Amino acid sequence: MRKRLVGWLCDTALILYFVFALFPIAWMVILSLKPADQLFSTYFSFSPTLDGYRTVLGDSEGIPFVRFFVNSLVVSVGAVVLSLVVGLPAAYASAGWRFKGSENLMFTLLSFRFAPELTVIIPLFVLYQKLGLFDTYVGMVWVLQLVTLPLIVWIMRSYFADLTPELEQAALLDGYTRKQAFFKVALPLVKPGIAAVSLLAFIFAWNNFVFPLILTSNEAQTVTVGALSFLGGDRPKYNLTAAAALVSVVPPLLLALTIQRYLVRGLSFGAVKS
Amino acid sequence: MTGLELRELRKTYRSRGRPGVEAVRGIDLTLRSGELLGLLGPSGCGKSTTLRMIAGLESVTGGDILVGGASVVERPAQQRNIGVAFENYALYPPLSVAENLAFGLKARRGAARRSRGDVERKVKDIAERVGLTDLLDARPAGLSSGQKQRVSLARALIREPDVLLLDEPLSHLDAAQRDSTRRELKRIQKDLGHTTILVTHDQEEALSLADRIAVMKDGVIQQLGTPYEIYDSPANVFVADFVGEPAITLLPGISGGDGHARLSDTVRVALPVPVDRGREVVVGIRPEDVRLTAEDGLPARVVAHEPLLESGLATLALDGVERHLVVLTDPEVRLAHDDRVRVTADPQHTHVFDAESGEALR
Repeated sequence: MRKRLVGWLCDTALILYFVFALFPIAWMVILSLKPADQLFSTYFSFSPTLDGYRTVLGDSEGIPFVRFFVNSLVVSVGAVVLSLVVGLPAAYASAGWRFKGSENLMFTLLSFRFAPELTVIIPLFVLYQKLGLFDTYVGMVWVLQLVTLPLIVWIMRSYFADLTPELEQAALLDGYTRKQAFFKVALPLVKPGIAAVSLLAFIFAWNNFVFPLILTSNEAQTVTVGALSFLGGDRPKYNLTAAAALVSVVPPLLLALTIQRYLVRGLSFGAVKS
Repeated sequence: MTGLELRELRKTYRSRGRPGVEAVRGIDLTLRSGELLGLLGPSGCGKSTTLRMIAGLESVTGGDILVGGASVVERPAQQRNIGVAFENYALYPPLSVAENLAFGLKARRGAARRSRGDVERKVKDIAERVGLTDLLDARPAGLSSGQKQRVSLARALIREPDVLLLDEPLSHLDAAQRDSTRRELKRIQKDLGHTTILVTHDQEEALSLADRIAVMKDGVIQQLGTPYEIYDSPANVFVADFVGEPAITLLPGISGGDGHARLSDTVRVALPVPVDRGREVVVGIRPEDVRLTAEDGLPARVVAHEPLLESGLATLALDGVERHLVVLTDPEVRLAHDDRVRVTADPQHTHVFDAESGEALR
């Protein structure tokens, strides 16, 4: 009896939290479907319309939302790919070998994550202006390494550390080179980890707000900043902002759903034990 | 087939700010072609480091390694043609048994690379020899430890290595599998005739498989010889104590110069060799070399008796002697606590060591 009561209470609490967590999203969906003239009406009934989405995706307010969207894709994917190319070998090396300064290097990388972006943003702004990286893809991909690289290196490091070294040693004895051992033995075994960490890094890069806010103006601006443009002007267009925000949630969501299988495996099977 | 020679092989691990750790301190070993040598010692004695140096997985601090007369020290692991069966098997989880076996053959590039048909034939061939034919399509995760060990062995053998290294091949197997795998291992090694080093901490494994055994401690080989030599005439106290189950009884005493050693005021035992009067010695008596007697012999009190079905193990206290004597008894013997018995030890099978150096006196 007591057990059942506790069960009930837990269920109720969960439902309450569910409502609480989903409320802003539901609110945004409603907002995005409202016609402009009913935005501020407090009663619930309204005639739903997709006009908001049409406006946002049709660039008709003079705000190139589609370009922002594409920018976000290019910049986030670019940042993740670059981080993987640089970070996987780094993670592998730091997991397998102790070399001079390896721990300091790793700590420096980690410090990028816990130092607030705001502490470096002004010098970065000045630098970017001088180097001509301001408002460019290259500049954005580069600065997002502060977000994605530490994540990928640190998480992948633990994956590599969990591999039994004998697996690679066996490959070496078979006549494979170090490089082949890395590509043919180590890398395939950490694939679930790569999938999980790439997704995570992508979401972090996609969601980043401060860097694009300060370091881009128009050409390379991303959706996080771009969606706010609808609030400017003579009258804040909340329905358009909501529609833009919802559209910008789609890529991470789709990605998460497609590699969900890997994600669960990647997070639960930290180790590949033979 | 080729022999293997280690000359003055050394390994020192250095870390900043601390004195180096000498894991291997100048090992000399020569293996005849086709010989199986057991490298036996407790954990931390340097036997695994030696194995890893031979394989090329660990750098060498000093000395030389010769395979078939040619030094391989300068060569990386890839170019040594040495097969290793790892303790944890190190099978590649996503691949089937057949793919695991073929994996090693696919590494060679250029002329040494084999055609697909050739690879398949080799895999089939080795699988038959090792008894894996039915398991070729299985994944490592679905295999028993004994089967994994055989796959690991087959993978080491398929490249036809000059030297085969086995790292604790039986340590993860249960008792029944251990017996059958041990027999298989011996058969396969004799069949294919590889020069083999078997690294183990388990004396039973070494005694039953090896042609010769090198007993190692603290990076030094204590004794090298056939299993019988090691067992019958241990070179020092460590070897005597480490080899033999149940363990030898080691009793400190003082030589009387008359062919006997005094263990206490009343207890004297005959020594196999003459020892100077007054010299401090350690007398080693194996449990199986002591007999219970009716009449003469040393009086002793029974401390405990463990019936082990096919034999019994009695722990006896000799008068005035601090350490207890362990005796293997016949199965029909029944002893109770505090029983008085008499025992004799055959002096021919008694071992005597110098108390200070621990070396055998011969």
